[in-house]
Amino acid sequence: MAEKTKRKTKRSLEAREARMGYFFVLPWLIGVLLFVLIPLGQSFYYMWFNIRITPLGTKFNPVGTGNFTQIWLENPEFPQQLVTYIWQTIVEVPVIVVFALIIAMMLNGKIKAKGFFRLIFFLPVIIVSGPVMNMLVSEGASTIPVMNTQVVINALDTFLPYSMAQSIGDLFGNMIMILWYSGVQILIFLSALQKVDPSLYEAAKMDGGSGWECFWKITLPTIKNFILLNAVYTVIFMSGNEQNALIEMIKNAMFSGTKEKGYGYASAMAWMYAVVVTLIVLLFFLLLGSKKDVYDRIAAKRKRALRKEERLQKKVRRRNQRNVRKIEKARQSHRYKTYDGKSDY
Amino acid sequence: MAYKGHRINPKGFEKGQIKIYLMVIPMVLLCGLPIIFIIFHAFKPMEELFAFPPKFITVHPTLDNFAKLIKASRTGSIPLSKYVFNSVFVTVAVVFGSLLFSTMAAYALSKIKFKGARVMMQINQIALMFVSVAVMIPRYLVVNKLGMIDTYWAEILPLIALPVGLFLIKQFVDQVPDSLIEAAYMDGAKEWQIYLKVILPLIKPAIATAAILVFQQVWNNLETSNYYVNDDSIKALAFYMNTLTSTTTTNTVAGQGIAAAASLIMFLPNLILFCILQKNVMNTMAHSGIK
Repeated sequence: MAEKTKRKTKRSLEAREARMGYFFVLPWLIGVLLFVLIPLGQSFYYMWFNIRITPLGTKFNPVGTGNFTQIWLENPEFPQQLVTYIWQTIVEVPVIVVFALIIAMMLNGKIKAKGFFRLIFFLPVIIVSGPVMNMLVSEGASTIPVMNTQVVINALDTFLPYSMAQSIGDLFGNMIMILWYSGVQILIFLSALQKVDPSLYEAAKMDGGSGWECFWKITLPTIKNFILLNAVYTVIFMSGNEQNALIEMIKNAMFSGTKEKGYGYASAMAWMYAVVVTLIVLLFFLLLGSKKDVYDRIAAKRKRALRKEERLQKKVRRRNQRNVRKIEKARQSHRYKTYDGKSDY
Repeated sequence: MAYKGHRINPKGFEKGQIKIYLMVIPMVLLCGLPIIFIIFHAFKPMEELFAFPPKFITVHPTLDNFAKLIKASRTGSIPLSKYVFNSVFVTVAVVFGSLLFSTMAAYALSKIKFKGARVMMQINQIALMFVSVAVMIPRYLVVNKLGMIDTYWAEILPLIALPVGLFLIKQFVDQVPDSLIEAAYMDGAKEWQIYLKVILPLIKPAIATAAILVFQQVWNNLETSNYYVNDDSIKALAFYMNTLTSTTTTNTVAGQGIAAAASLIMFLPNLILFCILQKNVMNTMAHSGIK
């Protein structure tokens, strides 16, 4: 009996915790459901249709995979831009992350007027989105005119596929953009670096470790999770950016009046784009994601085994109760006769 | 070099700093350029705006562009102050709501055990990957169905559900050690008390960062005013500035000057908020008890 009440309180505690959890998530969940998930589902549905907005109302014309074949076979621009985008992201994200890490390390070091430097590096964050950025790009402020990237591209083109050479070449041209894009990343790295226990460095220095070794053996493993976070953040930022040609293309397709384009067409484009972005993020997860600790794995395994055993016990207990009830019933209906020692056995 | 301990800020200038300065200062200049450019651009007279090659520094600063902007805004039927009010109201509501909900959700998803937490986090991550442009029309349908067209709700609610904020904040909540929460729990704190008294103070830097990100997304947002609101009197300032500067309503030559002035005005609140919050943003987790 005592065991039973103990179990009960434990379970109610867990239930309470879960209830609080749902309570805390609920407002967010409602918002996401209404403004993200339902629209997402709808656009998933729409991409199988050709949607035309006529004065008589919206016309849905099921085309199956027609939108996809249209995009891939008849729109030469989209696949081309997609390939460019993939290369560009794969090349630029590591550069941005490494760059942010270097800046963060420098700003974390001993240097005067550090607050001012941090401020300046974070400042571009407040302009890289919105109308100001559009203006700057159109004025040509984001490129270095002196740099002739074509030479670099030609040199790389001899041994690399063209789109890759192109994106590496663009890297040099877009150096300023990369600098502007790394504000949040620098900040995240700074906060990660400050969390590294200084006594670790002290101990390493005592044992004769150089700064280089300290970086690889202490700093990097500690901030590993943040490197992943930054990589993912950068990918997402770059894919959702207004400067992105693909976004522009999707937008244009959405509002274009031509017969074959329209909302369904744009949805199909957007979904393909989203899949590509997800794949890139997955790639970074595979590259940078931490493999779980051996200890964690063993603990998880043990927990699973325990849970299985518990389930089994519960099953046995239930069966036991059922059987007891059955026997009791049978006894009451006098199907079994117990020998009471009076007459013959 | 002698070992000098781990002071964060050195007292004076040291020789060892020079190499860092050499690397940092050019980059600082590059980062500072756009801001200086915006400020200079707004004060350029007409002939300098169209000079070729474009000049960086204003030679003869004037307030001409601002005068034109004010003149242009007088011709409209709705006073400028109304747009400012709309923008401020919507922005404050969104920033506050978005931060409240994301921190709550981040705490729950990261520290409270319940069924479906992992699935929800994955949903958020998928939503992150998706281009927001693509869900514009279905979003319009939802807003329409809820009867929120032409209300402030249409400008506030769709923006509150920003997956980026939750993603950032959750990463920081993950770093809060469980033992702190357990200690609070042992002392009899309820979940909401843990949220208010333990989690929120510890993730202040993340909140400040997210606040800046959310703020600038909302402040510069054109979409909601464009698509969900037909009534001019509740449209946002960004939308108004855009109509002033767009090529269709005014002539392009005069529009350039107004655009330069308008972008400075749109940019200033960003800068001011940043200056207010920067202490929190920069004051990262060094002293927050997290090791």
